[in-house]
Amino acid sequence: MAAFAATAGGLLRLRAAGSEGQWRRLRGAGLLRGLLQPESATGVAAQRRRVAHFTFQPDPEPREYGQTQKMNLFQAITSALDNSLAKDPTAVIFGEDVAFGGVFRCTVGLRDKYGKDRVFNTPLCEQGIVGFGIGIAVTGATAIAEIQFADYIFPAFDQIVNEAAKYRYRSGDLFNCGSLTIRAPWGCVGHGALYHSQSPEAFFAHCPGIKVVVPRSPFQAKGLLLSCIEDKNPCIFFEPKILYRAAVEQVPVEPYNVPLSQAEVIQEGSDVTLVAWGTQVHVIREVAAMAQEKLGVSCEVIDLRTILPWDVDTVCKSVIKTGRLLISHEAPLTGGFASEISSTVQEECFLNLEAPISRVCGYDTPFPHIFEPFYIPDKWKCYDALRKMINY
Amino acid sequence: MGSSCPRPPGPKALRLRLGCPLLCLLQKQLPRRQEQQHFPSLDDKPQFPGASAEFIDKLEFIQPNVISGIPVYRVMDRQGQIINPSEDPHLPQEKVLKFYRSMTLLNTMDRILYESQRQGRISFYMTNYGEEGTHVGSAAALDNTDLVFGQYREAGVLMYRDYPLELFMAQCYGNVSDLGKGRQMPVHYGCRERHFVTISSPLATQIPQAVGAAYAAKRANANRVVICYFGEGAASEGDAHAGFNFAATLECPIIFFCRNNGYAISTPTSEQYRGDGIAARGPGYGIMSIRVDGNDVFAVYNATKEARRRAVAENQPFLIEAMTYRIGHHSTSDDSSAYRSVDEVNYWDKQDHPISRLRHYLQSRGWWDDEQEKAWRKQSRKKVMEAFEQAERKPKPSPSLLFSDVYQEMPAQLRKQQEALARHLQTYGEHYPLDHFEK
Repeated sequence: MAAFAATAGGLLRLRAAGSEGQWRRLRGAGLLRGLLQPESATGVAAQRRRVAHFTFQPDPEPREYGQTQKMNLFQAITSALDNSLAKDPTAVIFGEDVAFGGVFRCTVGLRDKYGKDRVFNTPLCEQGIVGFGIGIAVTGATAIAEIQFADYIFPAFDQIVNEAAKYRYRSGDLFNCGSLTIRAPWGCVGHGALYHSQSPEAFFAHCPGIKVVVPRSPFQAKGLLLSCIEDKNPCIFFEPKILYRAAVEQVPVEPYNVPLSQAEVIQEGSDVTLVAWGTQVHVIREVAAMAQEKLGVSCEVIDLRTILPWDVDTVCKSVIKTGRLLISHEAPLTGGFASEISSTVQEECFLNLEAPISRVCGYDTPFPHIFEPFYIPDKWKCYDALRKMINY
Repeated sequence: MGSSCPRPPGPKALRLRLGCPLLCLLQKQLPRRQEQQHFPSLDDKPQFPGASAEFIDKLEFIQPNVISGIPVYRVMDRQGQIINPSEDPHLPQEKVLKFYRSMTLLNTMDRILYESQRQGRISFYMTNYGEEGTHVGSAAALDNTDLVFGQYREAGVLMYRDYPLELFMAQCYGNVSDLGKGRQMPVHYGCRERHFVTISSPLATQIPQAVGAAYAAKRANANRVVICYFGEGAASEGDAHAGFNFAATLECPIIFFCRNNGYAISTPTSEQYRGDGIAARGPGYGIMSIRVDGNDVFAVYNATKEARRRAVAENQPFLIEAMTYRIGHHSTSDDSSAYRSVDEVNYWDKQDHPISRLRHYLQSRGWWDDEQEKAWRKQSRKKVMEAFEQAERKPKPSPSLLFSDVYQEMPAQLRKQQEALARHLQTYGEHYPLDHFEK
């Protein structure tokens, strides 16, 4: 698998383009004084790294779970893992590079705190990581496996789909691997290209027996991850990597649960239902604000949270009310999870629909590098689709 | 090649001063650093983190040794006589008789169930002919609570652990008594009580799983070993490589038991690998390895016993490659005369069979004779036939069991589908074999 040294600085730089990029200074050692070259001399306008396509909107500080602390997404993950290892003596965390803290810092400090037999590196082998995790879980111990990027989960596809998902069913409930959780960084990050940007949830949505979960924020992530770890079924937990540092909010220090298979209506509305998960929730939130401001349209915004098994009732209840549905995800359009939602909703809510269901998704291409700004289903594409739906 | 190069100087600063004026300049500009770590390398040893080895100045490729590979450990000759008395495990009579009865009962059950598939009574079957020694010798060397991960040709392990004939049959028939609730094809046995993890069809997937289970056993201080069976064909899968490497790096108390029976369906070993079998791979991973005569139940027993003792005591994996021969077809879907000669099969059946070798051992000890053989054949056949007839008569489980155990709890959408099938059957039930199923 490709090595990707994702230092904190290597992730998307969020500050607005400043004057720094204007002059290019050639650095040299000692003898060269550094030729200062005005950008015009290069013949091409200097290009700055773009700002993110979304603005993270933190949720209000939760009051009901005790003391909170400001955490970003990776710190919220660490907190969840810390809580898990503290209360469950069988729990272990393993994968590539987790011992030193992980390429995204999700496991920082845990090896020192809990010991090298509980937080440890494995060889570079995803099928081994998941197979090994299944075996731990078969004995009843809690296995928390990390796949370094969701893009690299495919060697483990056989173990996940043919083994983990089917363990309980095929054995007549004699055996199961319910105490297995697989975590993987997920989704676009600004520069990840084909192999550091994928959102593979649709592949797993087609697999009865596992659960697939995607959080939108640090608070959601900790609660959902804890629920996955405690859930008696094997779970895949995708962590939007672009939010690891960018998303900051108040998160309870103690453990708490956010329920699985329950979508959340994060904003009520009457004219259109917008559904997304992970990073894209923040995009559609902004689209809802745009729609209100520019079109006077009231949007109901739903974070699906669990892809499998998904909360059909909440989505349908909303569409029955609004009559219009827009679903958006970064993953490619064809066979993407929006197609499942769309198909089910038209079965259940056909007579309530005022317009065809709209899907705003990535194109049917691999995830490109330099073309990312054109590829992603940004707020303008979502806004445009919404406008067309309203005018249908 | 080497002699004209100057000896590299010692500490780093010295090298810089000798070599590079520009870098020397840099050195002055950089802030003072801590003393560089001093390698005791005035002696000329490789310092690479990746390998512990000496230098060599002669170009030489290592020749893989496949002409005279790893030797095959055995205790009895093909006639069941002990070769080296110090290797005789001196097992008590009752235990050795249990070996014999387990192997022969398995053989009898195989014949009857193979036939039952031919008659259309069960959908599929796989026999264990010729490999009974690998199952029983290894199972006998384990504790009853040691966890077993199998591939599909290890029914003798369950037989040795006294898995009742009724349950073997129930699984093959998929009837109401099947612990697996009728979900899988025949021979996909599983038994929680006997610590035998349910078989799955994909090959080698059990190997890294077994390693994980062993790791958990180590953490739990369970004094338990995990044994993982697989064939020489499955050993080609990536999961096998993954499992071996994880077991070694994570120091797991596991026995990898490879049944090298010469064929993976029609593929002979010459097309499966080019090295010296599976045992030779072990050292590549840092794993203690041995090759044994799989048709010699005592050799299998001795190797497994010692591997178990050390795996648990030392928390390290062991690899046992048991050489044997698959006398039967791959399965009822296979006719092996398409790819091998009847003569070859007959040799193994007649000249080197684990059951006959053990019988000769028993007879030479005076622990068995033709009378007992005759009586036992009759009795075991009767037991199998009774279980068989009963299994055949039992109904299949309720179709509602199609839907349970996908998750621990049934999701709402799945319950809707279950209800939809129930409604469908109310109207169209006559087109379905409902008579054979419980309500």
